[in-house]
Amino acid sequence: MSKNPAPELIIDGSPATWQGYWRELHAFREVARMLIRRDLIVRFRQTYFGLAWLLFKPLMLMAVMSFAFGFLAGFEKNHAAPYPLIIFCGVIPWYFFSNAVPDSMNSLVGHLHIIQKTYFPRAIIPMAAVAVDAIEFAIAWLLFGLGCLWFGYLPGWQIVFFPLFCLQLLVLCTAIGLWLSVVNVRFRDISNLVPFLLTIGFFVTPAGYTSMRIPEQWQMLYALNPLVGIIEGLRWSLLNGMDGFPQVPVVLSLATTLAIGLIAVRHFLAAEVDLVDLA
Amino acid sequence: MSDIVIDICKLGKRYSLSHHHRPDSLKAWLRSLVHLGATTPADHSTEEEFWALQDVSLQVRQGECLALIGKNGSGKSTLLKILSRIIPPTSGQVRVRGRVASLLEVGTGFHPELTGRENIFLNGAMLGCPEHEIRRRFDAIVDFSGVERFLDTPVKHYSSGMYVRLAYSVAAHVDADMLIIDEVLAVGDAEFQKKCISHLALALASGKSAIVVSHSMPIIKALSNHVAWLREGRLFEVGSIDSDILQRYAA
Repeated sequence: MSKNPAPELIIDGSPATWQGYWRELHAFREVARMLIRRDLIVRFRQTYFGLAWLLFKPLMLMAVMSFAFGFLAGFEKNHAAPYPLIIFCGVIPWYFFSNAVPDSMNSLVGHLHIIQKTYFPRAIIPMAAVAVDAIEFAIAWLLFGLGCLWFGYLPGWQIVFFPLFCLQLLVLCTAIGLWLSVVNVRFRDISNLVPFLLTIGFFVTPAGYTSMRIPEQWQMLYALNPLVGIIEGLRWSLLNGMDGFPQVPVVLSLATTLAIGLIAVRHFLAAEVDLVDLA
Repeated sequence: MSDIVIDICKLGKRYSLSHHHRPDSLKAWLRSLVHLGATTPADHSTEEEFWALQDVSLQVRQGECLALIGKNGSGKSTLLKILSRIIPPTSGQVRVRGRVASLLEVGTGFHPELTGRENIFLNGAMLGCPEHEIRRRFDAIVDFSGVERFLDTPVKHYSSGMYVRLAYSVAAHVDADMLIIDEVLAVGDAEFQKKCISHLALALASGKSAIVVSHSMPIIKALSNHVAWLREGRLFEVGSIDSDILQRYAA
């Protein structure tokens, strides 16, 4: 890392280029690893059940949601796949999203004492925050496997697309997290606003129900929520095609994810430069 | 020419002192959007500018140690923060060759719940030192700090002396070409301070460079080749350590 002739660095207050920033992220990837490790250690140290919480939480969530939407609200009928599995494919992504967004949003503010004293690409902090939640997200899918065994259910060939939808969700969370994290440094207002928006978001996301429930004329508008395409895509990939490939939501969701991603990265790079001065 | 590791050229840093016109909350920002048409140029002229640094040009060559002196508020820390890439300059530029490790504070990123061992790796990464390199220097770091008995204790249980000794040890063993140090040499007891200074002197002798800020004349004399005196954000005087600049500063 150190012995080759050192490249010259110019500090003049101009924002980083995308390529330059990517190189920096790579050079400081160790920091990300350490932050993720730290958060995992701190999260489970001094807990009695330790890492088992990673499985308890999604399990409880799925049980509660299946009961609330399937049994109480009576949404359980007319589905080829077991209802708890359908719910699982919606609730787990939503749970990841609704944790990763506020966690990354608050990450820069929470690390101001570090940012003010040392340099590494600031994007590492919100990205590491998303990554910690992504680890929980990944482990939760183990439960899905167990659920399939329990219900004697076998996913079809569509499962090969499962990683792609997960990747899209990861990109979406990271993009929103990066964006909100720098906005939050400047306008702390949003840390009050976002939890409220997430509460609304839960109801306009097909987490506890499927988007079949949405009236035909509202489907397009509904699918502007990028999570609709991702969650219905996940259901399609894991539950034998469910009700057919959700073409419109998936395409719309890819478009909105891409747009949010581009805006977020641009805004982040521009805002990162004088982040500490504005904090 | 090629042995210049830090080339500071006409560096300036401006702050705006008027907080009335800068939207500090969403409300103020929204209000400023609404009133955008109504603002007159006169509104902006009330904005007071403050140059924390102005027109500073300095060079540091390989193996050299530059000491920054000046009263509180003279711009020393601002300069170090710009060199450390924590804040951007308003004007001018800095060219840096090689890896820089900044010690603006000891124990940046130390987490109270983590053990001494875990914090060594975390802090090392933040200083730009990959895990395998820390692993290689691990014994030296622990040795230098003298906290080996408490390595697996969370640092929240450390005494403040142990804490700074461990933190400084990590920083001292990071393999950087250039060290930027702000007052942190004044940590620990006299014995540990002496150890830090001789360690740093050794690093300088082996071809590393440093920029230090210190209010301690003995530390400056022990380490530096050059002294730069800042006054109200401007470079007041630069001279060799052997010149009478320190005496005049002390006077």
